Amino acid sequence: MEQASVIRAALVVAVAALLEAVIGPYLTFGYFSPRLTLIAVVFAAAPLRDLQAVLLGFFGGVLLDALGGDLFGVGALGGLLAAGLAARASAVQSRGTERVLLAQVAGISVAAFDILGYTARWLSGLGVPQLGEYAVWGVLPDALINAVIAFLIGGWLLNIVNVKTPHSWEK
Amino acid sequence: MGRRKSSAASGVAALLILCVSSLALFTVYVKEGDCAREGQCGPLHTVQLGAAEVLQPVRSVFAIVLEPVWRTGERVMGAFDDSKEQQLERKLQEAEALASQASRLERENAQLRELLEGQRTSYEYGPLAQVVAPVGDQFTQRIIINVGTEDGVEPNRPVVIGENTLVGRTTEVSRHTAQVMLITDQMFAAGVRIIPPAQFDPASSEISPAVTSENVSYGQGLLETDLEGYFGVGLVPQSARAEEGDYVVTSGRAGDKELLFPPGLYVGKVQSVTSQDIDQFKKIVVEPAMNPQELEEVRVITDWAGRAG
Repeated sequence: MEQASVIRAALVVAVAALLEAVIGPYLTFGYFSPRLTLIAVVFAAAPLRDLQAVLLGFFGGVLLDALGGDLFGVGALGGLLAAGLAARASAVQSRGTERVLLAQVAGISVAAFDILGYTARWLSGLGVPQLGEYAVWGVLPDALINAVIAFLIGGWLLNIVNVKTPHSWEK
Repeated sequence: MGRRKSSAASGVAALLILCVSSLALFTVYVKEGDCAREGQCGPLHTVQLGAAEVLQPVRSVFAIVLEPVWRTGERVMGAFDDSKEQQLERKLQEAEALASQASRLERENAQLRELLEGQRTSYEYGPLAQVVAPVGDQFTQRIIINVGTEDGVEPNRPVVIGENTLVGRTTEVSRHTAQVMLITDQMFAAGVRIIPPAQFDPASSEISPAVTSENVSYGQGLLETDLEGYFGVGLVPQSARAEEGDYVVTSGRAGDKELLFPPGLYVGKVQSVTSQDIDQFKKIVVEPAMNPQELEEVRVITDWAGRAG
C-alpha cells in the first residue's frame, strides 16, 4: 500500500526550485526554459489531498519567485494552477497511466505559466513579443519539451513522494 | 493515487484565497521600490536580493560545469537562426574583430601599468569582478557579478570590460553581488553619440574635441534594443551624420536627467544605416562591442569626473 508523504513532496518541490534557480538560466535557449518547479509540483501534488496540493503549489511558486529574479507572484500563480490541475487529474485517472497523464498536465501548466508570465510583463509595462509569434515559437515548444522532461523524470518523482506503508495484516 | 480526496470545497476555497494572495504579491512587487535607488528597496525585492546573495556560492560552483553547455547551446541557437551568407559575414566580422583586438591589446598593454598605478583619471573603477551566472528568464539579458556594496558598487553604475567597453549597468546590488542589466536587454537605454572612426580611439576612449564643437552635427540618439534582436540607435534625425563603420559611444546625456553614464564609453560599431523620406529618424543597426556569451571579468565604474550627485 502506498501513501503520499507531504514532507517528501515539499522537499522535492524545494529542491526543484533551488535547481531551477541555479541551473535554469544556463539551460534557457530562446523561449525554452526547463520548468523543474512546475514539473515537481505536478508530480508531488497529484497524490495529495486537494488542500495539501494547493498549499504545496503555492509554496513551490513563492519559492520560485524568491529564488529567481522574475516578477514576484507569477510563480505563485503558476504553482497554484499546476497543483490544482494535478489534483483534478489524479482524481480521474486510471492506474498505470499516471505518468502519461501527469506529463500532459505538466505541459499544460508550463503553457499556462508562460501565458501568465507574458500577461504579467505586459501589465507591468515591460516589453513583450507579438502574442501569436510567442504562442507558436515560445509557448508550444516550451510546453512540449517540458512535458517530455516531465514524462522522463515523473516516475522517479512519484516514487520519491509515495511512501510504502505495510498493510495491517503485515504488521 | 486514486485515493478519495478530502473536502474539495476547502481545496477550492484555499485555491481562491491563494490566487488573490498571488495577485497581491504581484501588485506589491510591481509597485514597490526596485532597489535602483538606495533606501528604496521594497520587501519582495529584498527577499530576491537576499536569495541571490545566498545562492552566489552555489551558482559559482555550477557555473564551472554549466557554462560550456550554455555557450555551446547559444552558439547552436545562433547557427540555426542564420543563413550561410550571414554566417560567413559573421566569420569575417570575427576575423576583423580579432585583428582590431590584437592592435587594441597592444595599446592596452602599454596603458596597463598606468591603470595599475593610478587608473584613469576620469573614471574610478571598482575591483575586478567575476561573472557568476546569467539570471532571469526568456525575456531578459542579465548577469550576476561577485562585487557588491562592500566593494563600493551602487545601483545604476556602468559596467565595462577592459577600460571603457560598455557591458551594461548595475541594477540590484547586495553586499557581495550585483545584478547587471546588459546593453542587449530590452530595458536598457543610454544616450549615445555616433562618431567617425578618425575622431575616436576605442582603446583609450579619447574623443577628438572636434566632435563636441557646436557646428558639427554628428548623430546623437538613444541606444535601444527589442526582443526581435534589433540593437541600434533610435531618434537620430535624418539630417545628422551617421555612416556604416562609425563608432557608437555614450554621450553622457539622458535627456535632462543626471548623467547615468560618463561620456565616451564604447558601445559598438554602426553596421547599417537606412533612412526613408517618410521617416522622421534614421534606422541605425549597431554591432555591439561586447559578446554576452564571452563575459568573464568586468569592472564597475563607481565614479567619474562630472557625475551629478
